[in-house]
Amino acid sequence: MDVYVVGAGMTKFGKHPDRDAVDLAVEAVNEAIRDAGVDRRRIQAAYCGHVYGGMVLGQKVLARTGLAGIPLANVENACSSGATAIREGYLAIRAGEYDVVLAFGVEHLTTRFRGALTPGEEDLEGALGLTMPAVYAMRAVRHMTEFGTTREELAYVSVKNKRNASLNPYAQFQNPVTVEDVLNSRPIADPLRLLDCCPVSDGAAAVILASERVVGELGRSRAVRLAAASLRTGTVEVGLPSMAFEPLTRATAQDAYERAGVGPEDVDFAEVHDCFSIAEVLRVEGLGLYPVGEYPKRAARGEADIGGRLPINPSGGLLGKGHPLGATGVAQVVELVRQLRGEAGPRQIEGARVGLAHCRGGKAAGVEGAACTVLIATR
Amino acid sequence: MSETEVVSESYVPFRPGLLRFEGGRGVLVGGRCRGCGAVYFPAPEVCARCQGEDLDRVDLSGRGAVYTYTVVRQSTPEFRTPYVLVYVDFPEGVRVLGQLVGCEPEAVRVGMPVEVVFEEVAKDPQGRPVVGWRFQPAEEA
Ligand SMILES: [Zn+2]
Repeated sequence: MDVYVVGAGMTKFGKHPDRDAVDLAVEAVNEAIRDAGVDRRRIQAAYCGHVYGGMVLGQKVLARTGLAGIPLANVENACSSGATAIREGYLAIRAGEYDVVLAFGVEHLTTRFRGALTPGEEDLEGALGLTMPAVYAMRAVRHMTEFGTTREELAYVSVKNKRNASLNPYAQFQNPVTVEDVLNSRPIADPLRLLDCCPVSDGAAAVILASERVVGELGRSRAVRLAAASLRTGTVEVGLPSMAFEPLTRATAQDAYERAGVGPEDVDFAEVHDCFSIAEVLRVEGLGLYPVGEYPKRAARGEADIGGRLPINPSGGLLGKGHPLGATGVAQVVELVRQLRGEAGPRQIEGARVGLAHCRGGKAAGVEGAACTVLIATR
Repeated sequence: MSETEVVSESYVPFRPGLLRFEGGRGVLVGGRCRGCGAVYFPAPEVCARCQGEDLDRVDLSGRGAVYTYTVVRQSTPEFRTPYVLVYVDFPEGVRVLGQLVGCEPEAVRVGMPVEVVFEEVAKDPQGRPVVGWRFQPAEEA
């Protein structure tokens, strides 16, 4: 049973001091329902991804959107929470259980955090002083050591994504920055600086998924096929593996490519989890979209720009669009839908037919990463 | 190689089971799988490589080499910045995170030899010293 995305919506990402998580999610859910043109009574189940939203956040959203009563599961998987929520809906439709489901993600992070996220003080490495920027700073040092990646090449990833964000009215950052701006921003964890790091954001995003059985009556012409939704957890590291490569991203991607029947060479653009400039490098190389060790140099030459050989993060990514944890994975799929429909405006990738979305998040001592998702959508 | 710091009897370990003191010297304690020989720090209940359930406690060497590092300049309120974090590779084939002390941040480099030291890292609610591990530069072997 094939699964389609028939509606997509999101709030503008950014700082929303006057609104709460439920309010943001209601806006995104209503936009997705209207975009799909679906009668609310046809939605049979819902999945809500969030990390810090508290108990039964999803049910509060249903109560305000005319959907109360249907089955709903709140899903937490760190930065992959939203993508995991979509996957739950995808699996339920594939199993033949439902024909129309809602998946959404939301976070009001500015009221929870300022500054660096950490693995949590109960985690061994968190208690030793590890922050998420420090994790990626140490990976950056290894990528620079093993492949000769330069500080300027890493900065270009932020420059590219913030430029893309300036073309996206839903993005938190609306102004481009230069390599010099990145290199002169406040140091966070050497060699990473403030503009190498994604911001703290509030926001919500939602999609409506439909089965092959009903997609015709909901409007096949604007539907995008969800060809794979793969999830993996990080394995426990044995020995002394390289920190400049991500086996977890590679394993999740291989599963998704097999299920979708496509390879990395077929991908026209990708939204990847660029929580830091170096993170985009590790994702893209782990996904097999660029050769291992070469992405920073190729990106600095413009290959990953909109209009380049293989554009990465046309939406602006986490660095430019923002990163409200639970909403991030769903917002990536919103971008896949807009690009594949040809509705992405000034950031449109001409002729895009295959888009990939990658999330990974969470850190626990001893494992390479906590949760990783790869979703592939095709036209 | 300098003497590892002597710690008084009335300490509280930073995490139970990960460090112990013998004759005034501290050691980090990991686990080694009886089935396949994989070494872990900390030791899991089941070996991730062969799924064996029998792991022996193993003392890690007092010395290793910096695999990677960063100078943390923004952190949570309980940590005073800046501080240096390093992942250290041990000869037993295991990588351990810790703070590096006794070294200017600018002087840290990949491959640098370091040794484990044990220090008070905090006070517990009763005011007793909580002892954990840190790394400091060591002489070239
Ligand atoms: Zn074993």
